[in-house]
Amino acid sequence: TASFVTPLFEASTLQYSLILDHLVGEKRRPRELPAGVTGGLPSPQKSDEQKMIERGMESCAFKAALACVGGFVLGGAFGIFTAGIDTNVGFDPKDPLRTPTAKEVLRDMGQRGMSYAKNFAIVGAMFSCTECLIESYRGKSDWKNAVLSGCVTGGAIGFRAGLKAGVIGCGGFAAFSAAIEYYLR
Amino acid sequence: MDPVKAQQLAAELEVEMMADMYNRMTGACHRKCVPPHYKEAELSKGEAVCLDRCVAKYLDVHERMGRKLTELSVQDEELMKKMQQGNMPQ
Repeated sequence: TASFVTPLFEASTLQYSLILDHLVGEKRRPRELPAGVTGGLPSPQKSDEQKMIERGMESCAFKAALACVGGFVLGGAFGIFTAGIDTNVGFDPKDPLRTPTAKEVLRDMGQRGMSYAKNFAIVGAMFSCTECLIESYRGKSDWKNAVLSGCVTGGAIGFRAGLKAGVIGCGGFAAFSAAIEYYLR
Repeated sequence: MDPVKAQQLAAELEVEMMADMYNRMTGACHRKCVPPHYKEAELSKGEAVCLDRCVAKYLDVHERMGRKLTELSVQDEELMKKMQQGNMPQ
């Protein structure tokens, strides 16, 4: 702090502590600085509603909901497609030799599509939610987020069938996520 | 030196100080939080969170250092006054 001690003959003109008090110390008054005066390129200021909307769209809940809806649609399409190429659709256990009616086949396809859709939606929402939470916690954006959240999701799904299935699910889903991340990055 | 003059001087200096602090803060937080991989134009969630935390910490540090600096400055001036009074009765 030697540089803040003024030389003897100037001691009466500048009293640094007083100026500093008004600048960064206790007597500092909150000042309203006009936008852009401190630096940065001049850009139109965002309104409060726009800021709120952007913050909502960046939130983890919105991302999870988006993944849920996307998973539902994708799962539905995938389920109906697999039902279309499956020969067992509409199979009637009571009378195996009878060809099923169109209504029965369609109902079976719808059920399978719905079941795939729900599974995909849950998995997608879980993965997206955990990935967003892990990324928010770490404060970094790299491949480890996807792998960790893949392990958590796979483990949670497999855990219902026992601990070993949970571990296998964790490893499998994490490897799958790592492959996707490698491809995407 | 009267407080009004000090306040006016501080008001003039404040804009410059804020601009300098803003520049340093953006430089430091960018170096810390945004790795030089530019695959997409938008900030990812992790980077945005990191920048929020960096700015909050920087401003906190700035405020604490400011208070500490005024304390030390007051101590220095009291020491100066004592030295002056010690020199005067000659």
